[in-house]
Amino acid sequence: MLIVLLQATLPAANLPFLFAAFTVAWVAFFAYAFFVSRRQQELRKEIAELRRTLEQQEPEDAS
Amino acid sequence: MLGNGVRQNITGYLVVLSGLFMLADLYLIFVVAPTDAVLGHVQRVFYFHVPIAIMSFLAFFLVFLASIAYVVRRDGKWDRLAHSCAEVGVVFVTVALLTGIIWGRPLWNTWWTWEPRLTTTLILWLIYVSYLMIRSHASNQQQAARYSAVVGIVGFVDVPIVYYSVVWWRSIHPSPVVGPFAQANALEPIMLWILLFSMVTFLLLFAYLVAERTALRNSEDRLRGIRLVARRAGR
Repeated sequence: MLIVLLQATLPAANLPFLFAAFTVAWVAFFAYAFFVSRRQQELRKEIAELRRTLEQQEPEDAS
Repeated sequence: MLGNGVRQNITGYLVVLSGLFMLADLYLIFVVAPTDAVLGHVQRVFYFHVPIAIMSFLAFFLVFLASIAYVVRRDGKWDRLAHSCAEVGVVFVTVALLTGIIWGRPLWNTWWTWEPRLTTTLILWLIYVSYLMIRSHASNQQQAARYSAVVGIVGFVDVPIVYYSVVWWRSIHPSPVVGPFAQANALEPIMLWILLFSMVTFLLLFAYLVAERTALRNSEDRLRGIRLVARRAGR
């Protein structure tokens, strides 16, 4: 009963801090995961392009 | 070493699993967990803040082990693991600091105070940010690996100091709720179970981020190798 009364009188002023903390955590983890996966895609594309260029130049060098 | 296909499968499972666990964790934190009678709703930050801080300790422990393995074996795979764990660890410790600052504001009536736990955690953050800076400023990969391995080994000294800081110097930061110095019955059983579930959730997220970052580091090394071959061939 006491706990119920205490809960009912607790200030709701703390709620913005609760949501701010969760938002910061989520945004940080999502941003990092997004950055890593986007960079990975860019690098894979770059590796594939570089390999293609090297393969195209090899027959030219042989001739 | 794992093949690319197997690694992508594992990363895929990890991202799905951590997503599902995260949803369940949010339900447990906001619906099932009881509201703290003294601190109110803001105490729910605890279920994120504590596991995130513990995952940063795990990250730096892995950096420590991988750095020792690199120094002993001189195998690049250990350097790649140490580098990935250090970067992910910096993300985790940054979030732990930020969530702590936000949580502390309504409780301590200040955003920051130079008390032992906060100060030693800030030092920990600075150590591993320097680790990453040393890597980016080194003249070559071998130098980066060697110098950062030293920082990875020596810098780990601060991790136990951060953990024990609340035991050695009592201040406004609460005592540990998990680990050897945790008080018995410090938490209600339901709160402890939700905290443990949160730890598993963040462990999955941590494993996913390390797997992704290690794959990225492998791609960076592969690209560097191909460029070197092309340059040597005079192209």
